[in-house]
Amino acid sequence: MTNRRPRLYERLRVTLWTLIVPPTLWAGHFLFSYLWAAISCAKAGEFATFPWLFVAGTVIALLLIALAGWVAWHQARIPGDAPPHQDSTGVDRLRFIAKSTLLLAGLSFVAVLYTALPVVFLGDCR
Amino acid sequence: MSLHEQDDPELRRAQEERLRAVWASPKGLFLKWTDTNNDAVGAWYTLTAFGFMLFAGVLALLMRTQLAVPENDFVEAGTFNQLFTLHGSMMMFLFAVPMFEAVAILLLPQLLGARDLPFPRLSAFGYWSFLLGGVFVSGSIFFDAAPDGGWFMYPPLTTRTDLSGLGADIWMLGLSFIEVSSVAAAVELIVGVLKCRPPGMRLNLMPLYAWYILVVAVMILFAFPPLIAGDVLFEMERLLNWPFFDASRGGDPLLWQHLFWIFGHPEVYIVFLPSIALFAMLVPTFSQRHVLGYPWIVLAAVGTAFLSFGLWVHHMFTTGLPKISLAFFSAASEAVAIPTAVQIFVFIATMWAGRVIWSTPMLYAAGSLAIFVIGGLTGVMVAVAPFDWQAHDTYFVVAHLHYVLIGGTLMPLFAGLYYYWPLITGKTLSDRLGRIAFWLLFIGANLTFFPMHISGLEGMPRRVFTYPAELGIDALNLASSIGAFVFAAGVAVICLDIALSPRRPLAARNPWNAGTLEWLAHPQDEHWGIRSIPLIESRYPIWDQPDFIRKVDEGRYFLPDAEEGRRETIVTSVLDARPLAVIRLGTPSWKPMLTAIALGGVFIFTTYHLYWLALVSGVLTLAMVLWWLWTGTAEIPERDCKPVGHGIELPLYMSGTASPGWWAMFITMMADATAFSGLVFGYYFFWTRHEDFPPDALAHAPGVFWPMVALALGVLAWLLAITARESNAKGRVGVARALLMLAIGACLASGAAGVAGPWTSGMAPESHSYPAIVWTLSIWTAAHAAIGAIMLGYALARSLAGRMTPRYDAEIRNVTVYMHFLALTTVVTYATTGLFPEVS
Amino acid sequence: MRRLAATSLLAVAGCNAHQSALAPFGEEADDTLTLTIVLAIGALILASGVAVLAWRAARSPKGAISHEGGMKLVLWLGAVGPAVILTVLLLFALPAMRPMSAAPGDLRIRVEGEQFWWRVRYDPAGEAPLTAANEIRVPVGRTVVFDLTATDVIHSFWIPGLAGKMDMIPGRTNRLVVRARKAGIYRGVCTEFCGLSHALMAFDVIAMEPAAFDAWLADARRASDGNEADAGGAAAFAAHGCGACHAIRGTAHDARIGPDLSRFGERRTLGAGILQPTIENTAAFIRDPHRFKPGARMPAYKSMAPADAEAIARYLKGLP
Repeated sequence: MTNRRPRLYERLRVTLWTLIVPPTLWAGHFLFSYLWAAISCAKAGEFATFPWLFVAGTVIALLLIALAGWVAWHQARIPGDAPPHQDSTGVDRLRFIAKSTLLLAGLSFVAVLYTALPVVFLGDCR
Repeated sequence: MSLHEQDDPELRRAQEERLRAVWASPKGLFLKWTDTNNDAVGAWYTLTAFGFMLFAGVLALLMRTQLAVPENDFVEAGTFNQLFTLHGSMMMFLFAVPMFEAVAILLLPQLLGARDLPFPRLSAFGYWSFLLGGVFVSGSIFFDAAPDGGWFMYPPLTTRTDLSGLGADIWMLGLSFIEVSSVAAAVELIVGVLKCRPPGMRLNLMPLYAWYILVVAVMILFAFPPLIAGDVLFEMERLLNWPFFDASRGGDPLLWQHLFWIFGHPEVYIVFLPSIALFAMLVPTFSQRHVLGYPWIVLAAVGTAFLSFGLWVHHMFTTGLPKISLAFFSAASEAVAIPTAVQIFVFIATMWAGRVIWSTPMLYAAGSLAIFVIGGLTGVMVAVAPFDWQAHDTYFVVAHLHYVLIGGTLMPLFAGLYYYWPLITGKTLSDRLGRIAFWLLFIGANLTFFPMHISGLEGMPRRVFTYPAELGIDALNLASSIGAFVFAAGVAVICLDIALSPRRPLAARNPWNAGTLEWLAHPQDEHWGIRSIPLIESRYPIWDQPDFIRKVDEGRYFLPDAEEGRRETIVTSVLDARPLAVIRLGTPSWKPMLTAIALGGVFIFTTYHLYWLALVSGVLTLAMVLWWLWTGTAEIPERDCKPVGHGIELPLYMSGTASPGWWAMFITMMADATAFSGLVFGYYFFWTRHEDFPPDALAHAPGVFWPMVALALGVLAWLLAITARESNAKGRVGVARALLMLAIGACLASGAAGVAGPWTSGMAPESHSYPAIVWTLSIWTAAHAAIGAIMLGYALARSLAGRMTPRYDAEIRNVTVYMHFLALTTVVTYATTGLFPEVS
Repeated sequence: MRRLAATSLLAVAGCNAHQSALAPFGEEADDTLTLTIVLAIGALILASGVAVLAWRAARSPKGAISHEGGMKLVLWLGAVGPAVILTVLLLFALPAMRPMSAAPGDLRIRVEGEQFWWRVRYDPAGEAPLTAANEIRVPVGRTVVFDLTATDVIHSFWIPGLAGKMDMIPGRTNRLVVRARKAGIYRGVCTEFCGLSHALMAFDVIAMEPAAFDAWLADARRASDGNEADAGGAAAFAAHGCGACHAIRGTAHDARIGPDLSRFGERRTLGAGILQPTIENTAAFIRDPHRFKPGARMPAYKSMAPADAEAIARYLKGLP
């Protein structure tokens, strides 16, 4: 094989912690949304007229989740046997975690979108 | 030892003799209760939880009798309120959660091919705490002193001592005690799944049950501590009159609702996922094929665990919070339906791809799935806020939650009962009785709870001891009451079946032809758990690995012997289950039970305001814990390594991140930090609630000086502890000891300075929520600093006694983990109390 | 369609038109009923769909679908399908959460929950407030703003036919904006567990045509002469110290501890929606309220002569 520099998704170590990156991002975004709404309603008394902070937070969360998903997508495609990834090999274990991370990234992405929806429809603190 | 040695039947018999002797249960009327083996403790645990379930079920029958006809006078209002409070609390705290822990303790070592879980004595301690607390709480109804404020215990009804009696304290303190045992079990189960898998069982080969248990145990770590924080505030208000929930003194009743439901909603999934985990074991068995979509199940379990922490406000949709806040939670409540649907379709797809064998467990699984789907769909309905504004706190919700819990927790447990009974007892249950019971349960559940959807929308609120005839809901209620008795008849048939089973013949080994490890168990119970710890190469080793059972039985895998007469199991790495070490497990002992009794004394004496006795119990508990640790943990082995077979030698001592003890400390401290964050949440919650927080009169209390002194000393203690650990590792034992001594001093001084802040500025905690929460944070942190000092002292004593050396240094490494968290707590507390008032 | 479904539900359930979310008389409850029916039908379809699939799966021979087929099933029906359905649901549900808007001139009614009754105060714009208890009158077609709070413990204010419920929490004032559509007599209840007699804490809701409501309000304000015709009853009321807790407009009694008893005679129920307000019931309630309402704050007057209790009851019945 060649000596090319390994790609990003090859260099990142896959552990049990990487599995929970996407849902942790969802949790962070959710907490941020809740605090943003609660504090702006309790302390400012109203929504900012343009909730740029919320939009920025949401876009960042979506991008990071998409990135985690992209990395997982490639890691899940590291050459090896076809699914169901149930051999006792390091590669299968890696691909299994990558696949699960990819699925979690999908779920987290949808969940962040769901969390963003209310701001579209409800624009005040009542 | 070579492979062929195991060919010698004499050697094998000798090995079996030694294993049998080592793992023998203590005999005798009294001595047998000192057992710590998971098969004994798990069985007691399961039976006790089952007993509490029957008790709580009888309470439900009394309620349904009262509500069978309008304006009934079968029981009084006061009794009825005790009945529903205790029914809900017992089913949640004394049945559903402990039952999951019990079944996991019973099954997990078998599933993982381990001899036992890593901390058998901790399991026993959890069991005795559970039994003691459970009897204390449930027994109160016989003295007409049971809690009567609802299982959610909303203040101010429950905190005002003129409106609620001893029952509230019994609930709060009795169940806090049980929460301790739940956290203990969570620690045990997480470390068990991560560190005690058999060699070769990489993460992608773990039985799905273990995945679920891992996820649920982690959920407990984050869900129970906020409730413990709430309990602390609650009892401070009841016993000391600190006004956290009293609106007239700056408190807010909604703070309790937040803390309760941050626990309460994940709780639903904590009791649901382990039951679905049983499906994940039995559906593949009865479809006779591998489960289809293994990563999808992992997605579903992990996804549900996360999302379930974003749902709590949907129990508070009618509290008048801003609609935008409600909407976030409504959206998350819809999102959680996705992973749930995934699980259901994984099972359907597995059944489709395989050929289903219609056994009794499968019948229960199908029936509970049907009930659960209805409960899940009404769950989607109540997640829609405008609908919930009508349905909330009516019988519609009673119907919804019982569909979810019967379909998602109780019936799957019955499926598991019929599935695993041969594994646990070696006997079979009757198919005929099982099916009769199933139909009684299925019809009874639907007859009881389906009409409640309508009676709720027809205007019947929850928690009413009677209802007027004019509402026109008497026929619906009568149907519900009849259904409840039909359901109870089903449970009675199951009890009968269980009672008859000892007289039935022994079952065959692996009677369902399952593929997972636990079915290696012999019908004639051997307490050693597994004859030799196998090398795993498949998710279904019994199906896929040739000659698997024979090789295990002939001791051809690892650790087939107990030469030194010690209970042992193998510790492996988290990701790939590479063997790392052999650990020696705790043996039968009185210590867990006595520690549980001492700790129980703290809670029970406090309930009756016997503070001196409570203090004595507290000191006793501390002494017991130290004695237990001193005599039973981090023992320096007689040699470094031992062979476990196949030419592999494994160390007998571990410290640091690879060792189970380090993980246990880390996990416990995660729970502790979560409880602490509940208190910090309280501080900032009050800040959002008040225009002036701190109030003007207290604008400069506790001041900046003392909190900053406490913070600096706390950080110093942390640095000293880390340096002590490094010095010890480098062999500079004397330096390490001196540093430890300095760290103890810094800890104690930090705690004292922390309390000096509110003390010197004369903050009166009864006057307002601000001084009350500042005091609480300071005391919490000071108490943690004191515990830190005790731990450092313990490490110092171990070093002086020669039980901790530069090479065998588990104590100081574990204490450093505590110190990391203590530093975090210190910084957050004193930055909040000292600096935040200056900047806000 | 909706009415048909509602009628058939009612037919199953009996015929309760007073306290039922299935028999709405207000705008929000009307909309919510539509939502309920849509959700219930959707749930029915989905539950049947899952049942049919599970049945087919259980009956199929081995290998009826391949590994890939099964994974497609999980992906499309388990993940994508629910995500799409829930997205659509949210797109409908979130706009429905917007509260009804209120104008500054709208009638405000402040209701405080107490163990185990309702303190009511009408605050019409630009007029003096009017105190009442345990009965609420609302004008049909006009926007009404309820200001809801509690003084002792948490209660919850629910008029199923009018709108969803709203909690009454000490230290907070929650707002519920409603509009009645149909005149009639309805019932509301407490839906947050609030102690011993939580089940016995209800109230009547009378939705009136706007003109009739205005007339009633004016009349209630004017009727300020007590019940002078019944001097004996008034004397007994005073002698037994009832005025220490209760107020009657136009008399010297103006305590605010217990329910305001002005215009008691026109109330439809006694004891917060639990008894017919007959003279016998009222007298019995005065002598032993805990027989009817365990845990009520009102002390029992068991030593009061039955004749006195009856005199007070007759006096109250004669108010205004």
